[in-house]
This record gives sequence, C-alpha cells and structure tokens, in this order.
Amino acid sequence: MTTTTDRPSLDDPRVQLDRDLGVFEPIPPYPTRTEREAEFYTLRDGEMLINMGPQHPSTHGVLRVVLKLDGEKVVDLDPVLGYLHRGVEKLCENADYHQAICYLDPLEYVSSLFCEWPGVMAFEKLMDVQVPRRAEYIRVLSGELNRIASHSLFLGWMALDLGGLTPILWSFIERDEIVDMLSALTGQRMLFNYFRIGGVNGDLNHEFLSRLGDWMSHATEQIESGQALLNENEIFVRRMRGLGTMDSATALRMVMTGPNLRATGVPFDVRRAHPYSVYPELDFDIPTRSEGDCLARYLLRMDEVKQSLRIIDQCLHEMPDGPVMAKLPRLLRPRPGRAYAGVEGPRGQYAAYVVSDGTDQPFRMRIHDPSFIHLQSVGVMVPDHLIADAMAVMASLDPIMGGVDK
Amino acid sequence: MDRAFKGRLEARFGERLLGPVRQRHDETEMRIAPGDVTQVLTALHDGPELRFEFLADLCGVDTGNDMQVVYHLWSETTSDWLRVIAEGLTRDDPRAPSATFLWKGAEWMEREAYDMFGIIFEGNRDLRRIYMPPDYQSFPLRKDFYLADDAARSPGGGVRPMERTHAPVDASVAALVRRSPGS
Amino acid sequence: MTVIARGWERLTLPGKLVFTLVPVLLALTIGLVAVIVLFGQPILDVLAGNLEIVRFVVAVTIVLLMTIPTAFLIIYMEMKIIAQMNLRIGPDRVGPAGSLLSVVHGLKVLMKEDFTPTGADPLVFTWAPVVVYLASVMTLLVIPFAPGLYGQQFNLGLLYFFALAGLSVVGLLMAGWASYNKYSLLGGLRAAAQVVSYEIPLTLSVVGLILLAGTMNLYTIVENQAGWFTDWYVFQQPLGVLIFFIAATAEANRTPFDLTEADSEIVAGFATEYSGMRFGFFFFAEYVNVFIISALTVTLFFGGWNAPFPWPEAWRLSLDVDPGSLGLGLLFMIGLVPLVLTIVFSLPFYLASSRIKAWQALIAGFVLANLFLGTVIFAWGYIGLDWVAGVLWFMGKTYVFVFTFVWMRGTLPRVRIDQLMDFAWKWLLPASLLNLFVTAAAIIVVKS
Repeated sequence: MTTTTDRPSLDDPRVQLDRDLGVFEPIPPYPTRTEREAEFYTLRDGEMLINMGPQHPSTHGVLRVVLKLDGEKVVDLDPVLGYLHRGVEKLCENADYHQAICYLDPLEYVSSLFCEWPGVMAFEKLMDVQVPRRAEYIRVLSGELNRIASHSLFLGWMALDLGGLTPILWSFIERDEIVDMLSALTGQRMLFNYFRIGGVNGDLNHEFLSRLGDWMSHATEQIESGQALLNENEIFVRRMRGLGTMDSATALRMVMTGPNLRATGVPFDVRRAHPYSVYPELDFDIPTRSEGDCLARYLLRMDEVKQSLRIIDQCLHEMPDGPVMAKLPRLLRPRPGRAYAGVEGPRGQYAAYVVSDGTDQPFRMRIHDPSFIHLQSVGVMVPDHLIADAMAVMASLDPIMGGVDK
Repeated sequence: MDRAFKGRLEARFGERLLGPVRQRHDETEMRIAPGDVTQVLTALHDGPELRFEFLADLCGVDTGNDMQVVYHLWSETTSDWLRVIAEGLTRDDPRAPSATFLWKGAEWMEREAYDMFGIIFEGNRDLRRIYMPPDYQSFPLRKDFYLADDAARSPGGGVRPMERTHAPVDASVAALVRRSPGS
Repeated sequence: MTVIARGWERLTLPGKLVFTLVPVLLALTIGLVAVIVLFGQPILDVLAGNLEIVRFVVAVTIVLLMTIPTAFLIIYMEMKIIAQMNLRIGPDRVGPAGSLLSVVHGLKVLMKEDFTPTGADPLVFTWAPVVVYLASVMTLLVIPFAPGLYGQQFNLGLLYFFALAGLSVVGLLMAGWASYNKYSLLGGLRAAAQVVSYEIPLTLSVVGLILLAGTMNLYTIVENQAGWFTDWYVFQQPLGVLIFFIAATAEANRTPFDLTEADSEIVAGFATEYSGMRFGFFFFAEYVNVFIISALTVTLFFGGWNAPFPWPEAWRLSLDVDPGSLGLGLLFMIGLVPLVLTIVFSLPFYLASSRIKAWQALIAGFVLANLFLGTVIFAWGYIGLDWVAGVLWFMGKTYVFVFTFVWMRGTLPRVRIDQLMDFAWKWLLPASLLNLFVTAAAIIVVKS
C-alpha cells in the first residue's frame, strides 16, 4: 500500500470539510425522508431534542434515544440502533453449521444459552437429528439456570436505573453463584457455547452437581432477601406502579412476547403454546399479571424465577441416563430446505429461521430477537411521561443491546 | 405436523398459492406472490378458523435469483408454525406491502429487511435504515455485497488504509471529502 | 557567567532544587526575623488592640482549612460504608485500608486538564463552582463546635444560614446555563426547582424551634440544651426535626433527592461539562454540605456540644497547674517520664518470654507508653477543658448523622421530579405549618 499525496486521509488535519464543525450538532441534519422522521424532527415551540446518547450510564448497552422534550416531559422518542451491530447474520452465512453456534452466543450475552438454543434446534430440524433425552433435560436445566441468572440481573439494573446502588451488587452475587455453576458445566462463565447440534457438549459433572445442590438449598431465601429491599420500598413502588401501562391488545399489536406480554394479561409462553424439548413433561405454571405496568413486569419476572426453580428441581429428579450427544457425521450437509425454531427466553421468544442450500454453510441465518421488538414499544409507552420514567420503562422492558443490534 | 391444517389452508387460499403447501417437522409453509400479502395476512389474522394473531418473525431472504419476504405466524388453532413466503421480489426493485397495518411491531422488522436487503415495504411509515448509518449506500445481506468496494460508497470510504487495496468508485477523494452527508 | 551556566547544567534535579530553594528560604527567613525584630512590638500591639478581629480571622481560617479534610473523610466514609452495604470491600489499596484514596482523588482532580467547553460563557462557567462552594462553606461561620469555638455569633445566625443555603441555587443555575449543554440545563433547572421548593419547609420547620428558644443565635440554642439529653429540642419538636431532616436531605441534593446529579438519567446533571478542579469544587461542596446539615441538625435539635448527661460536679478537676513553678523539674519531667514509662511498659514483654528480644520489648513498651500518655493527657483535657469534650461530642453526633445520610444513599432509590415537588409542597409545607401552629399554641398554653 503506497501513500500518495493526492489521497489525504480524513484524519489529516489539513483536510477541510465544507461543513463547519464549530459547535457540534448532536443530531445531524440528514434529510428526513420518512413520514415518521419528519413528524419527529419537526419541533414545535418550546420543544427540544436531547440525545440520550450511546455513551450513557443508563441505557442497557449502546443505545441512542433521541428524546423530544417539552421541559421535563417526554413528548416523543426515537431510538437509534446500530451501535453494536456486528453483522452476525452475514457472519453465519460464511461459517459452517458448527461455527455458527459460536456466533449466536454474544447476541443476548446475559442469557447466551437461549440464543444458542433456537439456532441449534433449527439446525437439528434441517438435518433431521433426534436429540437424546438426557441432552434435552440438560438443556432445560442449564437454560432455566440461565433464566434465573438473567432475571437476577434484571432486578439489579432495574433498581440501578431508579437510583438504588445496592441491589445490583447483590444481584451480581446471586448471578455469580449461578454462573460459577455453569462454568463448571460448560467451561465458560458467560458466552457458554455449550449446545451442539444433536445434544450438548459434555455431561453433568460432579462439581456442577455439588454446586447446584449447595445453591438449591439456599436459593429460595437468597432470592427472597434480594427482593426484600425493593418490594416494600415506597419510593421504588411509587416510581413503578402505573408507569408504562400497556394493555393486551396493544401488546399483541406490538408483537411483544415473554414477561412483557404476560404482564399485560396474555398467558402466551412458547413453552406451552408451542412446546419443544421436554417441557411437555414438566409441571410448571405460567405466571401472568394483568396490570401491564412496570411493577407488574418486575414482579412477574420474580415469579418466573420461582417457577424456574421448580423446573430445575424436576429436571434433577427425572434426569434419564443416556448419551448427551447424537451420533453425527463431522461434515454436516443438510439437504436444501428451511427450518424455524422458537424458544421462550427470559426476554421473550428467541427464534431462528435457517435456509439451507445443501452446502455445509447456512444459506440464510435469520435471528429473531425479542429485545429488538420490545424496544419499539418504548415509543408507545413513554410519551407524556418524564425523562426519569423513560429510563424506568426501558429498564423494565429488559432489553439487551447485543440482541437488539445483532 | 398438522395434516388437516394443510387441507384448510389449501381450501382457503387455493388460488393464491404459488405452489403446494409443504410441511416438515412442526412447520407449515405456503408461498404467495407479494401482491397478495395484504389479503392473505388479513385473512389469516381475522379468519375465525385461522386467527393467526401472533407474528413471530418477519424477515427478508435473498435467494440469489430473487428475493423473498418470509413471515412466521402462530395461532392457537394449530400446533404448527405457519410460514408465509412472499416470493418473486425482483432484485432491482424489491417491493412488498407492509404488515404494519396489522402489527405495529412489524415496523422495525421491515426496517431491518430494508436495511439489509433493500426491500421497500409500501405502507411502512418509517422505512429508514436501522443498523447501518443513515447515508449508507448499499445493502449488506445481499448476496452480491462485497465489503471493500461498497464501503467506498459511504462517506469516508476509500481513504482508510484497509480500503485502499481496491480502487474506490469515485477516484477523486477530493470529491469524496467535499460531498455533504445525505446526498 | 558561562561558568555558572555550565555548572547549572551539570547539576541533577535534586541539586537544582537545593540550589534554588535554599537561598530563597534563607532570604525569607532573614526577612522574617528582621521584620519581627524591628516591627514585632508594634504588630503585637495592633493585634492585641483588635483581639476580636484576630480571633475571627483565625477561627475562619481554621474552619476553612478544616473543610478539606472533612470532605476527604466523608468521601472515604461514603465509599467504605456503601461498599459494606453492597457486600463488597471498597477502597483498600491506597493507604491503610484505602484511607488515602480520597486524598489521591483530590490530587488527581487538581492535575486534570482545565478547559471550558466551546460555546460556554467563560465568566459564568468559571464562577459557578465558586458560588456553590462559598455558599456551602460560609455557613460554617455560625456553627458552634464547642463552648468558645465558633466563627462568629450572630443574633440572626439561623437566618444567615438559610440565606446562604439559598445562595447555592444561583450557583447551580449558573452552572446549568453556562455549560451550553442540554443535560446541564435540565440538571440546573431541576436543581434550582428542588432547592427552592425545599427551602420553605426547611425554614418553617425550625420556626417552632425559634419560638421555643426565643433566639436565632445558634450558640444560645445549644446552651439552652445543656443538661440531660431530655433537654434536647428533639423531644420538644419531633415533627420539626423530621421535616427538617427530610428538607435538609433535599437541600443537599442527597439520595433519595439526588436527581440533580442522577447519573443514570442525565449523566452528571449541571456538572456534566465540568472536569478537574472545577468539578472538584462541586464535589467538595456537596460533601461539606452533608457535614454542614448534619452539624446543623445536631446543633438545633440534638444538643450541639452537650454530652447526653451533665458531668457531675464532684468529678470536676481543677487544672491550676503552673508549669513555670516546676522550674527545672519540668525539664526533668519532659525528659524522664517518657523514658521511665517506656521501660516500665517493656518489662512485662521482656520478662514474659525468652524469645522476645530487648529491642522488640522496647518498641512495644514505647508504643504503649505513648498510648498511655496520650490517654492521660486526653482525659485531663476532657475533664479539665470543656471545649475538648464539646468538640468530641459535637463531632461524634455529627458523624452519626453523616452516617445516616450515607446509609440512605446506599439503600434508597431516587424519587422523580414531580413526586419530589409534590412531596415538598403538598406534604412538608402543610406539616411544617402545622408544627408551627401547634408549637405556638403549646407555648401560649404552657405560659398561661
């Protein structure tokens, strides 16, 4: 590569741009083309646009939300995504089926197993692979542990966004115990890379089971005490009750899933609506609340944690023996076709749609992520509330930007 | 696999289907033309025996020859996922009707399909890019997308060292630099 | 001259320092000695003539200098206590148990780049932190730390205090507006609204107290609370102290009312564009404010410097020892007593085990001797000098309240701005008025 003088770099201080950057414009004047953009970026008298920018202590990752404010009240908001876009779908097209599983983990990094699961299920459908029952039970067990870890973390940053410094550290203690357990099982603390096409990568081992046993013995009280600081706290409850109310019709129109939908009263859970894995054999309830406000979403997730504990208990008791991985050829070439698989993750429905063209690489790997969908609802719930409420509502929807931006 | 469901679909939509209804594992797949999307989705959503009120996914697919928009739906009336493939969108001007009249939540999924493939959804009030910068000039998930050349068509393209291995489309960097964003 | 230049070049850095500083120090010392010798007596006469002003200047200087270690201490306390509540350790590397961390923070803040953002109004931007800091620190003038230890006694001491607390609004608004930043603007306006709203319940809640005490002079208020702890005003004004505490928390922008600096909403509020020592001023002002409102709570309601029980008369010692009368005996005492005590305290260690060597026993003995002497002198001062006891009790009680503020910060989430305003205008204001009427009625009833 030669550096020629007639090709200056934009980093060169001698390069002059024709736009004067005297005072930096945080909201660049791109021409507005769509109706919604025009409606949003036209300011009436007294309104102001403020960037809750990608670097912000409170947005869950790199999310930029442009707020249109009238004083302290939010009139409208426009989330701008793409700051964490890594092109996962394109990367999966250039990798083979086994490698694609590694790309799925960092999507919703807090609950990685649920990101791998639909991808792996879709691959198994394409290749007509039957997963051994023991592997299915292990998948459910580790998945429910991951769900509890994710919901603990939700409690933490819900409180953090409202100003409480303490619950997040306690949540991390809870999560730490679970994640140490899972690291004994999978080898990793966070991006587990544990599910394989046809099973899981490695059976339960002694360390995992002993840690799990220890944890289960005090899990319930630990979780209860973690919530004790918040559930009875007047300030916390008053901030959240009645905020961001969503009724079930709107929630269905906004295609919400998971706890956000169940908090509005619709008892839709993929584990019961479209059962997969060994969930038909397990006995658990689907907690539902009908208020649809932030407090309902928060309490619902705590209820789900209790149900997850029930499921883990049953898995441990009913775990069958057998192999944990189906016998597969190393080079996987499914015949051309399409497959879709959806699972119920802590945030909602995670799904994967895979198109295969007969080669050993997926032709199209589509990842459907619930946080992406839920972030649209922020624009429905927040207007006519205050800035502080915008943060609280976004926190209660529990978005993870890795999944939103893929 | 719900075999009765296949019969019901063929009975309801017989003339609009561009091929037989296929079923595999727990999915049922039907193919329609993009022009029929509005009626088919409305019928699926509102039909008393169908009631597909839950849109599970909406995505675009580039098959190499042409493009498709794929909808995944769920209903209590059947145990299968329903996949509706609107196929035959041309590569030069891929257009499809928007599903936002039924599900407002489809707006962003269509934005993503537009951003990644260039599929224009008519009726979507907010069809702008969602992941790539607003003035990005190409569509990443298309099969004919190559990074180095296409990067040259974005502002700042061709002037970073890694992009100099391929000649940028506009050889004059001065023109590149003077071009104001958004044009 | 080149000889000097070459010689200078050949010096190392310590050498250069020595050769520059030593002549300068010598010159200064000689100058000082000359001034004292020539003008010493006239200076002393002037000072003796204006003793009040001298006392005032000295007191104010000490108080101002005291704010900095206080702020450091409170910052450290906050970090450690919130860490313990969060089940973590907090600072533990810098200095013993991390105690020097806040000092290091202070130094770091001094060494940062000092810039004014583009578009900001430089004059207002620069003076905003000064106004906020001064508004906080000037209130220390009237707080009585011990009998005889006060900056100045005003008959309007309490009014002076509240007036200055309101001055900080100006500083916050200056900071918010001059930063040329929407976040700062929002933060500054929120801060101004909050402080102004809570001024009124704050002031009204102590009017009952003023009626009871009959004066706004803080010194007199504390003197009125001498005796047993039941004489403290907290038992006569329970609602007043509650309202005062809540309103003071809001005045100081502490959790749960810290939305002005809500770092999960508007980055750092009015202080977003400030860095380095400018931010240091805001930061210090906040922590000094915490100390000040704790001190004021203690002064007004919890007895100030008074111990919870009066020191019995029978235990009073008289300190009428004239050191001059001992003559040479004083020299002997100063020389011999520590030596003797060291040997006396090291003997048990030496005799206890044969593995303890002589020098180890001596060190142990030295430490113990110092502790013993320190305790004796301290007890002598406590019993004999009333201000030692006063300062101790005052600081102890103040730091209990500082701990309470830190505790609230670690535990409670934040209220929303409209909930905050509601609470001030719809709840605290009527409650403080109620308190005032009931107190006034009670005074009339009791008097008649």
